[in-house]
Amino acid sequence: MLLNFHSLGSWKWLLLVVTFLTAAFLILPILFIAALSFGSSQWLIFPPPGWTLKWYADFFADPRWLEAAWTSFRIAMMVTVLSVLIGLVASFGLVRGRFLGRDALRALFMTPMILPVVVLAVALYAFFLRVGLNGTTTGFVIAHLIVALPFSILALTSALEGFDRSIENAAVLCGASPLEAKIRITLPSISHGLFSAAIFSFLTSWDEVVLAIFMASPTLQTLPVKIWSTLRQDLTPVIAAASTLLIAVTILLMLIVAAVRKGMKS
Amino acid sequence: MVSLTDTASYTRGRRRPLLRLGNFGLTLPALLLIIVFFVLPVLALLVRSVTEPVFGLGNYAELLGSATYLKIFFNTFVVSGVVTIVSLAIGFPVAWTLAIMPSRLASIVFAILLLSMWTNLLARTYAWMVLLQRTGLINKTLIALGLIDKPLPLVNNLTGVTIGMTYIMLPFIIIPLYGVIRKIDPAILQAAALCGATRWQALTRILIPLAAPGMISGALMVFVMSLGYFVTPALLGGTANMMLAELIAQFVQSLVNWGMGGAAALVLLVVTLTLYAIQLKLFGTAGAGGR
Repeated sequence: MLLNFHSLGSWKWLLLVVTFLTAAFLILPILFIAALSFGSSQWLIFPPPGWTLKWYADFFADPRWLEAAWTSFRIAMMVTVLSVLIGLVASFGLVRGRFLGRDALRALFMTPMILPVVVLAVALYAFFLRVGLNGTTTGFVIAHLIVALPFSILALTSALEGFDRSIENAAVLCGASPLEAKIRITLPSISHGLFSAAIFSFLTSWDEVVLAIFMASPTLQTLPVKIWSTLRQDLTPVIAAASTLLIAVTILLMLIVAAVRKGMKS
Repeated sequence: MVSLTDTASYTRGRRRPLLRLGNFGLTLPALLLIIVFFVLPVLALLVRSVTEPVFGLGNYAELLGSATYLKIFFNTFVVSGVVTIVSLAIGFPVAWTLAIMPSRLASIVFAILLLSMWTNLLARTYAWMVLLQRTGLINKTLIALGLIDKPLPLVNNLTGVTIGMTYIMLPFIIIPLYGVIRKIDPAILQAAALCGATRWQALTRILIPLAAPGMISGALMVFVMSLGYFVTPALLGGTANMMLAELIAQFVQSLVNWGMGGAAALVLLVVTLTLYAIQLKLFGTAGAGGR
């Protein structure tokens, strides 16, 4: 009755309206930002009196914004590579190992995902102040890597668990070295897991705000940090343009993921 | 069955393995990273709360004994509580609808949920800063509709924080609840209908009780996440309405008081871990962290 859409009667419409309104509530602010970034009003009047590309021109004309965007990209790329490599090796150990404390180790690897990020940010900030890693690319990469790695390990352990190991063993019996079998048989089979691990590591780094605020220095900022510091002064539409670019990268990557998953199924 | 020796630990071929750690060895890079850059720094921060400026529990006495800080704890708990209740009240009917609506429609709603979750937190918070300001769209619409005469103060107060936080938390509660409702056997509700239950009785006596564990679990997760949020409360709440995460940041960044920062961080960690332990004990899973 209640779990059959067509026998709900009048409740059906009520539920649909609530769901529709919630979906609108979730999507409209994002569209609103995109619209503002093309609006000609400096005071963020909506609907805008006219349309313009001025804010994007401002963004691309300002070396500080470009520098921040490039820093974000650079750091996210490094985090992605490290996160996938370290996560891959660790996942092999976790999935195939039979050692004491394996499950505890698995849980430990997930903790950065569930603890309040602000605690990690403050703790790392203190540590980096002592070892001189504050405001360095290395510091940024390490900080982002800590929160990206759980996603990577999650994606790769589940991919490895779904892989039939006897195929790899068969390759070894046919004369491949164990390492060769892993590289030529196992890795291609779990490529969807590798791909998810890479994309989510990239996005985690690309979107990170709290850690980045603590890792940044006046000379080294990521795009979210630059948005954060500009926001504290005023709400200029340039922020809307920067945010829209930030979101565009995210949407693009999410679409690639969706397309790849569709391709996997067909 | 052919048993093959596991060769993951082979470092230099098969002649003389220098170090045989087996599969555990493969987890070492990740383990070292987590210990050196996560476990130890957090522990060091917590230690500083009882050693700086002097050894003892002075920081905790100050933190839990001053009206200013207690008000911040109070704000944090109240906002997180309200956000949790509102998210649950909206999230349950939406998750329920998602579980039964035609799949084509449901996939559109899902795409919106995922898009919202993965859209940068700052961008989403900025949207609400603009929407809720005095001359913002929300106030202008309400005035145009004749519902209010003067703009309502919607930002730089806890109202703004609550709206922004609810917006961020909704997907986090809808998705797990959807999973819970999907698992409920429709036959149970059909049986209820056959036995003459009204829709209202079926909802309050069958569907809600069956979904209750998932609701409590999701609510706990949202509550814990809300406690630790930093960016959204800082931007929508203004300086006068701090929450706990902001307090930690402020102790460290502007006051350079590591002792108090560590103490406030410990309070947040203890509350977080306690609630996760409850969740784990009740439901066997623990949720995701805050931003």
